[in-house]
Amino acid sequence: MEQVAEKIGNDLFKDEQVIVDMQNVTKRFGTVEALRGVDFQVRKGEVRALMGDNGAGKSTLIKVLTGVHTPTSGKIIFDGEEVQINAPADARALGIETCYQDLALIPLMSIWRNFFLGRELVTNIGPIKWLQRQEMAKQCQESLLDIGIHIRSAEEKVGKMSGGERQSIAIGRAIHFGAKLLILDEPTSALSVKETNKVLDYIRAAKERGLPVIFITHNVNHIYQVSDSYTIIRQGQSVGTYMKGELTQQDIADLITGAREK
Amino acid sequence: MNNDSLRIRSLRLFENSPVAGPLLTMIAIYILFLVITPNFATWRTLSGIVTAVSISGIVTIGVTLLMISGEFDLSLAPMIAMSGYLFGSVSVGADSLITNTLASWGLPVAVGQGNVTLAILLGVGIPTLMGLVNGLILIWTNVPSFIVTLGTRQIYRGLVWIVAGAELLQVLDEPIVYEVFNGRFDLLNDFVKTWLIGEDSRDRVNFRMATVWLFGLVALYQILLVRTSFGNHLFAIGGNEGAARAQGVRSTRARVYAFMISGFLAGFAGIVQFSQFKSVRVAEQTGIELTAIAGAVVGGALLNGGYGSVWGALVGVLLISVLRSGVILMNFTLIPADNFPAVVGVTIIASVIFNNWLRNRSTS
Repeated sequence: MEQVAEKIGNDLFKDEQVIVDMQNVTKRFGTVEALRGVDFQVRKGEVRALMGDNGAGKSTLIKVLTGVHTPTSGKIIFDGEEVQINAPADARALGIETCYQDLALIPLMSIWRNFFLGRELVTNIGPIKWLQRQEMAKQCQESLLDIGIHIRSAEEKVGKMSGGERQSIAIGRAIHFGAKLLILDEPTSALSVKETNKVLDYIRAAKERGLPVIFITHNVNHIYQVSDSYTIIRQGQSVGTYMKGELTQQDIADLITGAREK
Repeated sequence: MNNDSLRIRSLRLFENSPVAGPLLTMIAIYILFLVITPNFATWRTLSGIVTAVSISGIVTIGVTLLMISGEFDLSLAPMIAMSGYLFGSVSVGADSLITNTLASWGLPVAVGQGNVTLAILLGVGIPTLMGLVNGLILIWTNVPSFIVTLGTRQIYRGLVWIVAGAELLQVLDEPIVYEVFNGRFDLLNDFVKTWLIGEDSRDRVNFRMATVWLFGLVALYQILLVRTSFGNHLFAIGGNEGAARAQGVRSTRARVYAFMISGFLAGFAGIVQFSQFKSVRVAEQTGIELTAIAGAVVGGALLNGGYGSVWGALVGVLLISVLRSGVILMNFTLIPADNFPAVVGVTIIASVIFNNWLRNRSTS
């Protein structure tokens, strides 16, 4: 009976407009409770800022969603289906693209090689997987141009690009491969103002193409212009989710630090 | 993008290719010796320079692939020795422990009755398995490959000692297969003699078949490295393993393959070595691993992975060989042939400084 009820419940609340719905997620590391029953929902086509101080649990929450950690309890519904995400590969197979701060790109490799890494276009010659180099370079350049990034040549090394441009590759890659959700982990933390603005433009470009974005940061200024909504995490719990315009920058800062309760 | 001037495009090629710097350095040094060194400008010297790197060159290919993926293999010399014993014994059916044991297992070889096919298969197959073992220990234990192969180096040496019966193997027969792997390359030698230096010249040109194999293998593995997804993954693993794995690259599998390739090439080098000298000892080629690492580094590979090329490594070992011939012919009082390693030391450090400067230009 319980199962039936749950199933009906699921159907009732199945919302076509929601891409990811994390319900009552907890995560314990030994005796440390990193997540204490977090509900987190992101709608299709929105840019959601996930905010919190260092150690608040926002990274843990994202790592649960991307398969780096498995949750101690709780449920994840992705694109209308309940899913188990046990490894990064599972998340990727679902269409969740993640761009971690330092785990995103390989500086000594060219742009197109980074762009297609792990998903190379190949011609199979027996056991040999022959790279379609020109085709990949062309598609890479076109994809980046499509979201407003002009590169001189896809053969350039990633190490030669600025921090903002590097983020653009990860964003372009997500759009190109038809991701359903893009997660950016502190994409602007090490960037100059000018570079930050560029990255915010790329995020807008992703949004225009209907790609929902979760944008992790603890910098209020950076995200205020681009996010549609904010979720604030403090001490392993969700403080709340607010629409754009509901809060001032000062309110957000106070909620992050706990200077003000909800 | 296509309207760039030739100068800018060639500059970019220079910056983006790991082989460009070492190649220019080698050509410059070669020309310098041509001008200042008596007797350097001979075919004998040139063919000597090329022949001297055939064995170290072949193993350097595998070492370079490993270094690009961030790994080392210090167990190559015993693999070469193992291959030499197996190939040497079985190719002619030498009266040895190996031949007798294999015959007693019912394999088609007997004393006095060699089996060339079996000899080649064992010569490359067993070292490939030894490479596989290196790779498996690495991925199962997560002990750095430097340490793993430092250990297997001694273990494999012990295996060679057992298989060899602790004896030097020397054969007197000369089956045609020896000519194929490392006979005189008379097609080229005769061509040079007839058309370029004249029959009655005192200059003796002596290219060997090993050079053909070396260049062929270099071309093959360079293509594997830059034109296949396997090569792409080696660069990615060495450049930033976390990022590679996050993108779905199966890093452990690629690593094991790289160790198997390294073993295969060491086996190949063992066959080439035996074909030329018709003898092999337990301590054969001791220390060749460091020579190979030096060649790869001089040729532009990064010690901690993610960058390098097989072409570059070939240029690296050739550059060291050019220096050796030049310095010996210059006959410096303080640097006779026996003191040549000091020059290699200087070369390694100077090359790395130069290559770093070049690479930084291309990435920042």
